[in-house]
Amino acid sequence: MWAVVAKEFRELRRDRRTVAMMILLPVVLLIVFGYAASFNVKDIPTVVVGPGARQAAALLRAPFQVNEVDPGAGEPVARDRLRDGRAVVAVVTGRARPLVLMDGTQLFSVQTAEGALGRMARQAGAAAPPVSLRILYNPGLTTSWVMVPGLAGLILVFVGTLITSLGVVRERQAGTLEQLAVMPFRAWDVIAGKIAPYLIVAALDLALVVVVGMGLFGVPFTGNPAVFIVGAALFLLVTLGMGVLVSTVSQNQGQAIQLAFMILLPQVLLSGLIFPVSSMAAGVRWISYILPLTYFIEISRGVMLKATPISALWEPIGLLALLAVVVLALAIARFRRDLAPGAGRAKARAAAREVTPA
Amino acid sequence: MSGALAEARGASRRFGSFTAVRAVDLTVGKGEVVGLLGANGAGKTTLIRMLLGLLTPSDGAVRLLGAVPSRASRRRVGYVPQTLGLYAGLTVAENWRFSAGAFGDRGAPVPGGIAGWRNELAGRLPLGTQRQVAFALALSHRPDLLVLDEPTSGVGPLGRARLWDEIRRAAERGAGVLVTTHNMEEAEQCDRLVVMAAGAVMARGTVAQIIGGRTVARVRCPDWNRAFTILDASGVPVAVHGRDLRAAAPADEVSALLAREGIAAAVEVVPAGLEEAFVAMVAGPQGA
Repeated sequence: MWAVVAKEFRELRRDRRTVAMMILLPVVLLIVFGYAASFNVKDIPTVVVGPGARQAAALLRAPFQVNEVDPGAGEPVARDRLRDGRAVVAVVTGRARPLVLMDGTQLFSVQTAEGALGRMARQAGAAAPPVSLRILYNPGLTTSWVMVPGLAGLILVFVGTLITSLGVVRERQAGTLEQLAVMPFRAWDVIAGKIAPYLIVAALDLALVVVVGMGLFGVPFTGNPAVFIVGAALFLLVTLGMGVLVSTVSQNQGQAIQLAFMILLPQVLLSGLIFPVSSMAAGVRWISYILPLTYFIEISRGVMLKATPISALWEPIGLLALLAVVVLALAIARFRRDLAPGAGRAKARAAAREVTPA
Repeated sequence: MSGALAEARGASRRFGSFTAVRAVDLTVGKGEVVGLLGANGAGKTTLIRMLLGLLTPSDGAVRLLGAVPSRASRRRVGYVPQTLGLYAGLTVAENWRFSAGAFGDRGAPVPGGIAGWRNELAGRLPLGTQRQVAFALALSHRPDLLVLDEPTSGVGPLGRARLWDEIRRAAERGAGVLVTTHNMEEAEQCDRLVVMAAGAVMARGTVAQIIGGRTVARVRCPDWNRAFTILDASGVPVAVHGRDLRAAAPADEVSALLAREGIAAAVEVVPAGLEEAFVAMVAGPQGA
């Protein structure tokens, strides 16, 4: 037995990536997720409109963070702000009981806001807040309504990153990557050819998850499917690009799985799928902003639950497009190095000229 | 330019401090079969990877079909790597369709030689058959240059003969063929040989030129088993051929060694074979 133990240790010592996974990753995860894993919402973006907007805004205390006070605006503007994701709570004044609108897609923020309103009322000696409360987009605060659009994205990350990376690494291990390199393909041909089937399968997966989500959980799809398709296509390109990128730095399927999980885990916990991004510590929140799932969740929840128009989603769509360009460019550059070594190509050309006899 | 299909001039390749190929010159012309002969680790595969543009030379230069290896030049190359490059999960016909499609001939029918396995998964075929399929795939686009890395490794005598028949036919059509091998019988079928050891070229030329004037001592004696033990124990490179021994040492030295042990043997000088020449060449500085 000791011979096996010693052999395992020797192998492990040379497998630095696994050692790093086993020792460093838990520490990093503990620190990152310890700061990120919080259901406590400290700031709730709030807009106050109507003739009494200034007075109402002055009454609001933390966690309400009043971003906009517009005495000239009415309920339509308040609804627009919620739909466009610029506020989670909107207070409409100018009526007997102020109307408080809340974005039901932000479960924890709504729960916190309701609690805060109750506290304010109790402090004022009232049994209930002197407001009319209306929760939009997810009136029943149903968890599945919020989770399904996000889970659809998570499934795409899984298919895109893990399955794609395994597909390419399998070629490397089987020796067929070398054969591809000798065939008259450009790196881009191979990448496009490799990811196209996964793109189609992932798109079908997405459609399936959305349809099943709607059928089983009654999740509404209120927005424009075209906007959803644009967001999903960009998101898929990023995840598939990540898959190719993972494969170019992995020598075998084990390494690819390790790396893919290192990419998957932060997306599960830091993208806003479970914990609100706004409640994460500032030191780890920046990680959320480089994760494609963060933006896809914003798009999918926006389109499915709130009918958010594309004009209000240009930021996540633009950032996904940027991520797609960066990730695919990196993937192509790395893949090209695998297929036909670019480094030293200029040198090889110059040297080849010297071969030609005078 | 020499009109060579593949050419290396002073090509070297280093991996860190290790030099896998050092200052190799090589040309492959139309219609000729050039063998790269060497033991495992001699640098043969690294050299062909450089010629194909899969590795850039650390020094020197390579040209493929008259130009720097590129997508355009690789279009005219058929390559069978040691790993064969077959998709194990695809049938022979599907592998064929992929390969033919990659070279722009989507509708090409599966050739007769491998059509019998068209519906078999490539990964389930015996190794010899897989090599035959890989070879057919490499020929699918009638390449000007065939590069075959250990093409008959693991193939039985019949399969080997068939493959060499195909190689010869390709050469007769005008294709240049570069074959790496450590099999002497196979090497003897090449028009020219380049012998490599430790990354460097040790010799080049036809089989006769490689052997040159090398001779060995052929030993015939009834007690050949004991004679072998004595010669081997004395550090003389010796091999058994039937009931004869062939020793890579001067005949008088061999006679003396055996006589000292009281063995009566007929020792005569005979021309060395390719394997003997190769062993002498490769072991030269250290051994012989």
